[in-house]
Amino acid sequence: MESLLQQLERFSEVLAVSRTAAVSAWGPAAVRRAVQWARYLRRAHGRLRAALEGRRRAGPRLGAWGGRDVVLSARLLGNRALGAAAHRCLLRLLFPGPAAPPAPAAAPAAALQARLARLARRRGAVRLLLRGGPAEDAALRTQAELLLRRLRDGPAGGLLDGLWARAPRAAFLRAAAAALLLDPAGPAPGGLLRWLLGRADALAALCRDLPAARLAALAARHPALRRAYLRQLARWGCRLRYDLPSGRWEAAAPAQDAAHVSWAELRGRFLSLARAPPPLKDAALAALEAWSARDGAFRVRGLSVWTDLLLALGPGAAASAGVAWPGPARSPEHAHLPK
Amino acid sequence: MAQDSVDFSSHYQFWMQKLSVWEHASTSETQQDTCLHLPRFQEFLRQMYEVLKELNSSTIIERFPTIGQLLAKTCWNPFILAFDESQKILIWCLCCLINKEPQNSEESKLNSWTRGLLSQILSAFRFDTKEVELFIQSLGYTPEDYCPGLLKNMVLSLASELRENHLNGFNTQRRMVPEKIRFLSRICIPLVTLPDIEPLVEALLTYHGHETQEVLWPEFFDAVNEAFLLKKISLPTSAVVCLWLRHLPSLEKATLHLFEKLISSERNFLRRIEYFLKDSLLPEAACHPAIFRIVDEMFRYVLLETDGAPEVLAAIQVFTQCFVEALEKKNKQLKFTLKTYFPYASPSLVMVLLQHPKEIPQELWLQTLKHISEMLREIVEDQTHRSYGGPFECWFLFIHFGVWADIAAEQLVMSETESSEALLWLLAFSYNPRDGSLQRAKIMVELKAALIHLKKLFRSPTLSAKDLQAVAAESPDRDPRPALCQQLSRRLLLNFLLWAPGGHAIAWEVITLEETSGSGGGEISPAQSSCFSLLLLLALFLDHNNSQVAPTDEITHEIIGFLDQTLYRWDHLCEEAPRSRKLARELLAELHASSTSPLNVGRGCRDQDP
Repeated sequence: MESLLQQLERFSEVLAVSRTAAVSAWGPAAVRRAVQWARYLRRAHGRLRAALEGRRRAGPRLGAWGGRDVVLSARLLGNRALGAAAHRCLLRLLFPGPAAPPAPAAAPAAALQARLARLARRRGAVRLLLRGGPAEDAALRTQAELLLRRLRDGPAGGLLDGLWARAPRAAFLRAAAAALLLDPAGPAPGGLLRWLLGRADALAALCRDLPAARLAALAARHPALRRAYLRQLARWGCRLRYDLPSGRWEAAAPAQDAAHVSWAELRGRFLSLARAPPPLKDAALAALEAWSARDGAFRVRGLSVWTDLLLALGPGAAASAGVAWPGPARSPEHAHLPK
Repeated sequence: MAQDSVDFSSHYQFWMQKLSVWEHASTSETQQDTCLHLPRFQEFLRQMYEVLKELNSSTIIERFPTIGQLLAKTCWNPFILAFDESQKILIWCLCCLINKEPQNSEESKLNSWTRGLLSQILSAFRFDTKEVELFIQSLGYTPEDYCPGLLKNMVLSLASELRENHLNGFNTQRRMVPEKIRFLSRICIPLVTLPDIEPLVEALLTYHGHETQEVLWPEFFDAVNEAFLLKKISLPTSAVVCLWLRHLPSLEKATLHLFEKLISSERNFLRRIEYFLKDSLLPEAACHPAIFRIVDEMFRYVLLETDGAPEVLAAIQVFTQCFVEALEKKNKQLKFTLKTYFPYASPSLVMVLLQHPKEIPQELWLQTLKHISEMLREIVEDQTHRSYGGPFECWFLFIHFGVWADIAAEQLVMSETESSEALLWLLAFSYNPRDGSLQRAKIMVELKAALIHLKKLFRSPTLSAKDLQAVAAESPDRDPRPALCQQLSRRLLLNFLLWAPGGHAIAWEVITLEETSGSGGGEISPAQSSCFSLLLLLALFLDHNNSQVAPTDEITHEIIGFLDQTLYRWDHLCEEAPRSRKLARELLAELHASSTSPLNVGRGCRDQDP
């Protein structure tokens, strides 16, 4: 088992190199060894996986090794740097042709050929289906599933920190949000959620970059996120000051505040929260209520951003929240505004 | 050889032209045309590979200067790449094009170009955005991981969109437009055997829209049906039923496919027939009256064409049995009245026939049979009852439930009282519905006489073959009986052998006769000679005028069929009778072993199962 894991590690280096120009140094023999190695590892992986079925700690990234023979083949095939002779050898290995007289040694080769053909067929299928229109939902869902699959391999924190540092942040946040909304939800999102709540900058970016409707869905699904989201909204709201001449709420210090969220944006956020089903809707309106009361609950525009937001949501909003207007602070969690 | 190459080059030209026309595959006409030609084009690719693999690269270019164009156009056609094994064969062809030792820059360029095409098919994958690509990479995954997941999710999303379509009612903005649904059915045609696409196929089949006309392509139904019949796709029964309800040619093809399996030159045991039938899903689908009527119609046609072949009769009987089983499984609630399944039959007759003998206590079987016989006789002999069809229609209905005729024969032999007229009539009718009443009466008289003989012998515990011969000799000389009568009498005699206590002894005496006395002459095996004796005995008993009768293959088949049918019936009715069973099984095995034609020795008999 130990030696196998070592072999997997060494093979990962080979796999990494297969994409680069370094393969120009590979001759036919090297290609042959690489492909055979990949096939062997595939079989070994299958057996190892079966043996380790019950155990969680199956070593670093064991899950990733399932299809590496296909990956290696595809990379080498697409790599222009691979020499002509090496490439010809690769073709012979990968595509031996129609079923030869059945020899036990030939079976893995035939299996790899079949897998590569299936990959090509699936790619054709995707192209055909895309003719009917873009498939953003499906793409996002796939990214979310891959993220969750990766999280199952090992401890979430380290991986996510790494992603936050290296990966394109917008794509990462979108995938994370989609993962948290996946239906049916599995146990995996737990680690992701904890990490998100623990990282203020990630959380802030999530709240700012995602569309209002998506955040509302997230807040509805995860109570902890709901609280964090509302706190974030409160922070943003506090940074707005009323400009009497123009009659608008504007940034208090626009020059310094790069992360400024406008009044319109804030209103849009609360509108989508108010459209959500009751638990979320009530919590949001109650929060507004509490903050407004903290500011004195004067029914005059321009004195409290929260009052104005409540007014903007419409008279029905406050009433349907089951709160008398004006009323005292309801829930203790919303009674304290951040400074 | 020369002719082949001439043919091949004309095919080559044909496909070259086609590919150019399909090049953009943008209009629905070109797409439809492409889908129609996919299987033939794949054959052509296979042929081309066979030609190319014998040649080296330079010769290929010499002989087929435009081959690069042809292969490139194929690569660029997503319908072709998505179909069955075409992408694999195309890759093989491209591999043939690679030059082992490029002599000049032309050949190197060709190599390079070919590599590019191969890479195009296999490795280049375009993500939606660079951002997404980098994200996937940072996760440690590759396009090869992403693509299958993407396909799965696209299929799921489309399938659920289709399923929820009817929920959106007349909210036309959210509904999938008919054009898109039609488009989806078209692109599924090449993909139908790819397992990933199955949820979408299922959703399309079960889609019920608000349109007045069928929105899916007929070629889609054809492709799905083909794949289903060849077992290249697995679909839930409800989806298959939808397919057949929406596209009649598919149902007809499925039924013909079943017929080919059932009515082959080899003999199929009833158990095997039952397996084929259930496997085809047709009995279950026939719970829908429209499907039942069409399948029944096809059975009727085959029956008439084969002039009432016993294999077809057996198939109809087993089909009806499986069909009734399936109906009962649907919570015993008949959503449709019986009349929708049997519109030309008297409802009360159908009700009685539908009863399974298992549901009726054995003591009442005689009564039920008499009732059936009376009802049938009334319809057949009464001219004014034409609304229920003539004798043939009655008979066709009756043979669906042919188990009753078998039980009638058994009852006639086993009952102690005088042979019931009603049962005799029923038996005679079931063998030939077209007889006039006079002819039938004659047959009934013959049968009655034979039965009297048999009943005399039934009681005696010890019988010998000689006794039977003596009885046969007792009957006065008569004109040679019609074949039908012989057939019926054989049946009665066989029942006798299986049930009479003495009958067992005779049968074994006959079978072991040659074995104990050793094989005389060594020409015929003991088994063969014992069967010969048995058949000779039967022939003697029934037609003593003609003592030169040799057991024909036909008669052997008939007896085998009878034994198989009897065992099958006993299994379904949970009939105990261990001695009779044992005898029947052993007789069947002996007859198989000695039969001249190759037999389908399937799992016809249950060996050790209780």
